[in-house]
Amino acid sequence: MKQLRTRFRLLTLFVIGLLLVAGLYGVYSVTIYGSRWFSNSKNTRYQNAKSSVIAGDIMDRNGVVLATTDAEGDRVYQSNLNARSAIVHLIGDRDGNVANGVDSFEANYLLGFETSLSERVAALLKGETRRGDDITLTADSKLCTRIVSDFENGSKTKGKSGAAVVMNYKTGEVLALVSLPVFDPQNITADDQQNPLHPFWNRALQSTLAPGSTFKIITASSALENVPGISTYLFTCTGATQVLDQTIHDYKMAQHGSLTLEKAFTVSCNNAFAQCALKLGDAALRKTAEDFGFNDNFLFRDFVVENSVYPTTNRNLVEIAWSGAGQSQIGATPLHMCMVAAAIANDGVMMEPRLLARVQSPAGVVRLRYSQKVYRTAVPANIAAIVQGYMKNVVTSGTGTAAQVSGLTIAGKTGSAEASVNNEAVTHAWFVGYIADDSLPYACAVLVESGDSGGGVAAPIAGDIFQYLKDTYGK
Amino acid sequence: MRNSRDQRRPPSRRHPDRRLVAAMMLFYFSAFLLIALKGELRWQGFALAVAVPALIYIATLWLPRFFPADKLLLAIANFLCALGVLVLYSTDLDAGTSRGLQQAIYYSFGIVAMLICILLVRYVRHWKFLIQIIMVGAAGLLVLPLAIGTEQNGATNWIHFAGTSVQPSELVKIALLLILSYYMSRRQFWVWLLFALFCLGVLMLQKDLGTALIYYATTLFLFYASTGNLPLTGVGLLGGAGAAVLGYEMFAHVKKRVAVWQNPWLYYETSGYQIAQMLMAIASGGLFGVGLGLGAPRVIPVYFTDCIFAVICEQFGIVFGILVLVMYGILIVRGTSIATSARHSFYALLAMGATVMLGIQTFVIIGGVLKLIPLTGVTMPFVSYGGTSLISCMGLIGLLQGVASLNQDDLEYDYEISHSLGEELRLPRADRD
Repeated sequence: MKQLRTRFRLLTLFVIGLLLVAGLYGVYSVTIYGSRWFSNSKNTRYQNAKSSVIAGDIMDRNGVVLATTDAEGDRVYQSNLNARSAIVHLIGDRDGNVANGVDSFEANYLLGFETSLSERVAALLKGETRRGDDITLTADSKLCTRIVSDFENGSKTKGKSGAAVVMNYKTGEVLALVSLPVFDPQNITADDQQNPLHPFWNRALQSTLAPGSTFKIITASSALENVPGISTYLFTCTGATQVLDQTIHDYKMAQHGSLTLEKAFTVSCNNAFAQCALKLGDAALRKTAEDFGFNDNFLFRDFVVENSVYPTTNRNLVEIAWSGAGQSQIGATPLHMCMVAAAIANDGVMMEPRLLARVQSPAGVVRLRYSQKVYRTAVPANIAAIVQGYMKNVVTSGTGTAAQVSGLTIAGKTGSAEASVNNEAVTHAWFVGYIADDSLPYACAVLVESGDSGGGVAAPIAGDIFQYLKDTYGK
Repeated sequence: MRNSRDQRRPPSRRHPDRRLVAAMMLFYFSAFLLIALKGELRWQGFALAVAVPALIYIATLWLPRFFPADKLLLAIANFLCALGVLVLYSTDLDAGTSRGLQQAIYYSFGIVAMLICILLVRYVRHWKFLIQIIMVGAAGLLVLPLAIGTEQNGATNWIHFAGTSVQPSELVKIALLLILSYYMSRRQFWVWLLFALFCLGVLMLQKDLGTALIYYATTLFLFYASTGNLPLTGVGLLGGAGAAVLGYEMFAHVKKRVAVWQNPWLYYETSGYQIAQMLMAIASGGLFGVGLGLGAPRVIPVYFTDCIFAVICEQFGIVFGILVLVMYGILIVRGTSIATSARHSFYALLAMGATVMLGIQTFVIIGGVLKLIPLTGVTMPFVSYGGTSLISCMGLIGLLQGVASLNQDDLEYDYEISHSLGEELRLPRADRD
């Protein structure tokens, strides 16, 4: 019987342990994912709350009211069609087609779920309908409108899908986040619903695409960190490097001859970077990519972002070689690539992108103030400084000259990523870059899907963004 | 030589739990009253505000006058039963259902079932013939749904007669425990093994995989407890794992469940809807819940049985949800202490089996709701809507209380002997195996 009792106690410990695990897991998942589950556009609860609470207003950094509630309790956006369409993916729409717009993702503030008991009682005594909190964003709606008009009026970008993100690389404030095509949040048409380009989709946060040559920022950082003497090493580019049974070729089959890493970065030579990736090996390159946030579970406070992927499986030499140029199953969102450029600009420190500048209750209680947060340190400052130089060369004399703005030092990297859409080979145009100026610390990422050349199609849009930033925020 | 009656009693037969029960009764009285007064006046709410505390009183303070009982265990089981009634009644509001009232009636049936099980364990002395009858009866009852049953949620485990529906596999749980502990304590290996395998086979045929899991785990754990034979337990574990893999490969709906568990949002429009809705409900509740009778529990499919924990979390918050888990934990600890104080291995195994069964079932359903493990369709003990489930859970509590009352009798017997011998009070734990 004594042994029986010992075994009983063991069993009990086991079962109690199971319940403990369940409880801990419950608390863990509610604290980590709770707000994401709650603000899911499929959740009908906060839509029900709309009948008893007047949703708060959303304003941009300059006080422009982006969304408010009318007498019937419906959401009203800006009166200008272009203005309200440009920012639709950031804010959301009436029918909840956009996932995780501020209107739904921050519903706990907007619909007064954060209101304290005393505030609720006070409102009850006054007999008023409860009002949710007002939110001020870090975004600049004019900039969003300008980017969308750049896309829609550019001869090479017209009618194409894409995305652009602008952020302050020192503080993490997101100034613009647009996804193309846009639509009118107040008047959703059948065309919007049937559009094969899926306008409801927020590409800046949800689509992970091959970053193409913009990934060379990471390959170069990794090489500078891990391969001694790489900055003086001479690569040979014959236009075709043979790896196993495949040939690594360059964009438009260019031949660059003998060149250094710096030169290879400036002209975006795939052959040199393929050799670079093979020198590094998969593990070292993956390590650097993960330092930049690849394969991490992004749990940013203000954004729901698709995770970026650097494959963790065993891969053959061809795949590793192509990884140096950001191909072969590597995927990243425009927001993340903007963060990559921002990290280099900020001497290797990657800030968490943030959108809420301020949350204030109708009675004037400030519930949240902007606070910046370091997401991670991507590369040592000395290596970031070298890559900064490389990126400046790209804009002054390399593939990204179209992003130049007179009076500003611009740094950047172009990308022309090969992908297949509906079994058809396409090339996505990328540009990531930043203003190398402490008084204008802004980075941006531009993606034009099926846009072909990053330098020719995406870089001009980035140039216009920098121009706007200079005109608006420059001295 | 005898002192006054009160002094003769060991201290645990007094009522240290009266305050606890009074607080429980007050809690439920005010909770039902709150709902009854919300908006319009509801007579059902007033009736329940009186009836539920009355049932709690009867089960936790009045019944134990007739035989010794573990009152903390009783109090917790009744708290959970009443919680089920409360949550179900709160979801009835403006929905045109009357599950709360129905559950209160089931609750009273449950108390009767508990009483029957207490009497059974306490007064039956010759089990051999009775066990054989129970075995035949249970086997017959279990196969009945295959012949005349109806399919619900993909499993054929219900029978309907005389206007009510019964889930035999729930009732057979009690029979399974009696049979397992009887034959295990007599080391008649093949009898219980064949019966357990038969039950598992029938449950597989009925595609009632959640219940099969509970039967399987209880049998395996009791086997380990009774013999301590780790190699054979390992074989049983491997067999179970093999069956799980086989089930995964064979049944399409098992595969789907696992896929849904991994990412319910991908399958939101179809099979992931339930889990996604539960997660949203839990998240909406936050730490302290949206409040009794509020929230939107009815958007969750089967919110009244499998998913009721999500409804509790939405209304009362995850903190309360964890407290409910803690209550199950205390229930298990008390059950184990009853099992370890039993003098005969039959009663010890019976008490342990009931405890393990409740514990496993709690883990399977709450783990499923919290997305720790794939969701299987079992009820949350004491709380889920359903007569059969409540009756069987209260029956398990009855078994535990029966063993507890025998333990108490044994202690008193020892006490009297030592007293009459003029010795100091000692509480020996002599084995009577």
